[in-house]
Amino acid sequence: TGEDGLGLPGYKEQLTVFHSADNFNVKHPLMNKWTLWYTKPPSPNKGENNWNDLLKEVVTFDSVEEFWGIYARFSCFRLTFANNIAKTSELGLKSDYHLFKTGVRPEWEDIQNKHGGKWAYQFKEKRSVPIDDLWLHVMLAAIGETLESDKDKEIMGVVVNVRKAFYRIGLWTKTTGGQKGTPKEAALMEIGKNFKEVLKLGDKEVVEFSGHTESAHSGQSRAKAKHVV
Amino acid sequence: LQIKTSEPGPPSAALTSLRSARFIDDINSVNYPANILSPNPALNPAATGKFKYPKDFLMQFKDVFTEKPSVDWDQKMRETVGEPDSARPQTAR
Repeated sequence: TGEDGLGLPGYKEQLTVFHSADNFNVKHPLMNKWTLWYTKPPSPNKGENNWNDLLKEVVTFDSVEEFWGIYARFSCFRLTFANNIAKTSELGLKSDYHLFKTGVRPEWEDIQNKHGGKWAYQFKEKRSVPIDDLWLHVMLAAIGETLESDKDKEIMGVVVNVRKAFYRIGLWTKTTGGQKGTPKEAALMEIGKNFKEVLKLGDKEVVEFSGHTESAHSGQSRAKAKHVV
Repeated sequence: LQIKTSEPGPPSAALTSLRSARFIDDINSVNYPANILSPNPALNPAATGKFKYPKDFLMQFKDVFTEKPSVDWDQKMRETVGEPDSARPQTAR
């Protein structure tokens, strides 16, 4: 059998979830610990429309297995509904899902986001866009750490906004890139390109980067783009 | 305060495994079953204990590990998110 396949005394075979879902002894670590946050849609009948009351920390995880356990159980990961019963597609308007590195709040005001910005794209064809798949793929690219090279450490988190006219997927970075032609700027552009690829966008579509400070000053979340890919 | 009558049951075998499993420290030392695509070794040249995983590798877990991450998950979700799990296909109304 494979139990003592290597013939080493005391060697215990590494059994993954693929060998047995109910009896495994090793799990797959993520490079970072991640926390899922959820912004509840404001309810018109209650006074509870303060952003801080609506933003909920849901769960923290650090293994691939846990991510999928959460994904399977937590329907809020899914933005659309398998059975399109009347009105359910309207549920969750103005809600956001945020997947951020643990210790970073998904807010401009967090000290770690203060000097940062975000790559973002709005999907206006809500009916035809496979938003659940795209959001899943963006989360997988984040936790699988395939969006940036190890040394850059730019990525803070990813977010999806469910709005009446669009879905928007964003990727938050620690900085807004450096001066033109610097390695920092190149790293930020590379992240933007990788993000665009995960979203399966064509050459004609434009993903925009904007700094959080500019967004805050313009009073809306769509400031003039600082970079585009 | 509302007292819930449905007590969380004991942890499942899958959850017990998840809790007791140790983290893989050398991804290239794992012998995956033949039908499983290993993570791209080029992404993880060094056995550092921290790995990158391509999408195709991660997607393979989708229907393999589906256990709640904790026994009190449902109750916790009601408290934090505060809405029923209405999107599950089997709860068609």
